[in-house]
Amino acid sequence: MGSVNPFFLGCTLSLVLSLSAFGLIMIFTWRRPKLSLAISLTVSTICLIIAWLTFIKLSALKEPLILSVDWMMSDQIRVPFGFLLDPTSLLMFVIVATISWLIQLYSIGYMAGDSGFGRYYAFLSLFALSMLGLVISSGLLQLYICWELVGLSSYLLIGFWYEKFSASEAGKKAFVVTRFGDIGFFMGLAFLVLNFGTLDIHSINSAAMSKAFPAWLLTPAALLIFCGIMGKSAQFPIHVWLPDAMEGPTPVSALLHSATMVAAGMYLLTRLFPFFSCSPTAMTVILTICTITLLLSSTIGMVATDIKQVWAYSTISQLGFMGMGLAAAGLTGGYLFAGFYHLTTHAGFKALLFLCAGVFIHHFHTNDFFVMSAKGGRRLLIPMVTVTIGALALAGIFPFSGFFSKEAILAELWNLPNKMWLGLGLLGAFLTAYYTFRVIFVLLFPRPQAVGGGHGVEEEHGHGHGQEEEHGVPWVMAVPLIILAGFTCVLGFLQAPIQKFLLGEVHHHAPNYVLLVSAVGCALGGIGMAWLDWGAKGAKWEGFIRKVPVVENFFIQKWYMDHFWRWFLNTVIYGLFSRTFTYNDRRVVDGGVDAVAFGTIGSGRLLSFIQTAFLQLNLLFMVLVLGGIGIYLLMGR
Amino acid sequence: MESARMLVFNQLETYLYLALMLFAIGLYGVLARRNLIAVLISVELILNAASINFMAFNRFLAPTPAVGQVITLFIMAVAAAEAAIALSIIVAVYRKLRSVNIEQATELRG
Repeated sequence: MGSVNPFFLGCTLSLVLSLSAFGLIMIFTWRRPKLSLAISLTVSTICLIIAWLTFIKLSALKEPLILSVDWMMSDQIRVPFGFLLDPTSLLMFVIVATISWLIQLYSIGYMAGDSGFGRYYAFLSLFALSMLGLVISSGLLQLYICWELVGLSSYLLIGFWYEKFSASEAGKKAFVVTRFGDIGFFMGLAFLVLNFGTLDIHSINSAAMSKAFPAWLLTPAALLIFCGIMGKSAQFPIHVWLPDAMEGPTPVSALLHSATMVAAGMYLLTRLFPFFSCSPTAMTVILTICTITLLLSSTIGMVATDIKQVWAYSTISQLGFMGMGLAAAGLTGGYLFAGFYHLTTHAGFKALLFLCAGVFIHHFHTNDFFVMSAKGGRRLLIPMVTVTIGALALAGIFPFSGFFSKEAILAELWNLPNKMWLGLGLLGAFLTAYYTFRVIFVLLFPRPQAVGGGHGVEEEHGHGHGQEEEHGVPWVMAVPLIILAGFTCVLGFLQAPIQKFLLGEVHHHAPNYVLLVSAVGCALGGIGMAWLDWGAKGAKWEGFIRKVPVVENFFIQKWYMDHFWRWFLNTVIYGLFSRTFTYNDRRVVDGGVDAVAFGTIGSGRLLSFIQTAFLQLNLLFMVLVLGGIGIYLLMGR
Repeated sequence: MESARMLVFNQLETYLYLALMLFAIGLYGVLARRNLIAVLISVELILNAASINFMAFNRFLAPTPAVGQVITLFIMAVAAAEAAIALSIIVAVYRKLRSVNIEQATELRG
């Protein structure tokens, strides 16, 4: 090889270290929490340093750096393995490394004393390995392998408390449902490799940019690959696994929701953005599905009472929002910046929101934010402040990061000829602000009559940090919150540098005041609505949706999607396929084997009369036959 | 007279007839005797007939590579093993049936 590029060396090192951390902990040290923690955290820190160093050194990157080794070659087909370092992957690499490091730090406090502490860190290492590998992979097959590894590790982590039935069920559900989408993804890959001949991301994108794809190949391949994205990024109609995935430990949810599992889907969409945007049909389908997802999950988030459920549905809706941004950009010939920028900011504030929720859950041992509120959740100062920052970012309020990225996406939607999408996007923003601040106001203004233990409305206390310690927010849990809150405050102002980094140039738009006013108006309207319903002194503490019970019930039942899938499983999968295959197995396969066995037994019975127990008679026949054969061979011819 | 006798022993046919006689006697014994030990002895006779054939052909037709003699050695080894196994089978049969009569062994009748 001669001189190896130090960046590729760094990438390899981070992957190998993560894998060996997983192996070491699983094989040797899983019984020893301290040692496992040390191994995992060291490796994670090294990955973090490598990621930031690479990011800083390559920040003026002009051409993507590619290290590609042909793993499999056959006539027309090439399957490369390697690394592809371009602005998109570098930014994602840093995000993944940072978030997973923060979450490993946070988990020290959250998982302290858990019997599976070592195992937990092993799984986190595996998760980091698969996600980092996914981000920097140069070929789609390698990406697919890591994609499945991400699925596997999230299965392991969601079902981490496997002794709890609902947790193991949720893990299985996540695995099977995402696999359902991955079937499409894999078929898309096969379709692409058979008709296009390579799975190299860079060559696919450059071919797409030079319009080298025939349309008949492009649209089906794009739609099939999008099936995988739908599964991973929890888009309608296979979003059902994500709310259940809340069964895992909360830091895992934070990891899953911000930088890894669900982000993988949108990351792939960004990765293949030139490819996708060549097919307007596929982009329209994506836009539609993402819009449905946005509205569906925001409306469900309005009625959920479990804080993690609310954040889970907000994740689904924000993913839908990212998808809308990307699809709109693809349709209007825009850039991938808006959607990916929202992915970046979302990674920060969603991890923040989940980690805050984790503090509350850890402290009050409940997931219901009404109970948290009644027990005095607002007295946990650090998480309360940071959760408010996260919520402001999620709602899209200046100056937090969500404001800028939402604005960018809405600008993309504005460019679409049909303003309906913009309207739906604004409606989504309104609903998002509403359900987010429902949680915040409920936590901030507890009601004495709410679930027992409330002390009435008290003054806000200015607790010092020392008292927070007393309240049980250990610094390992508080530090990640503060760091993430810092990111949330800062990221918004880095829009221009990030854009320059991603696209190589800054595209200045004349500020669109109509859009700006309407977006901020929607967000503020949502917050105001939440204030009227939950915050103000005379508020009734029930959502405005309560006035239409049918619709509220529809939302509480999660649009009956779980019912639909249960019905689908029972009638189509179990009723049709399973039954047919079972019948086939019993009758045709088993029947065939049985027929052979019974035939052998029967013919044996039939022929057993030859065995007369007169040994010498048999011998006589044998001699006669042998003699006959001998005579025939000697003289017969 | 002397040379005529030497001539008899110095030609192939003599040995082939001898082998044939041994084989025929052995075959008769295997097929007709009811005593398992007699059957075993007859089998040995058949084997020896084969050995004699090998030796004779080796001696008169293809003397240079001593393959026939080697095969005879193999046959002797096989015969020894076969005798040991067959005798142990016979002992087992005797223990079970209290007889070495071949007509008593009918348990595997179909």
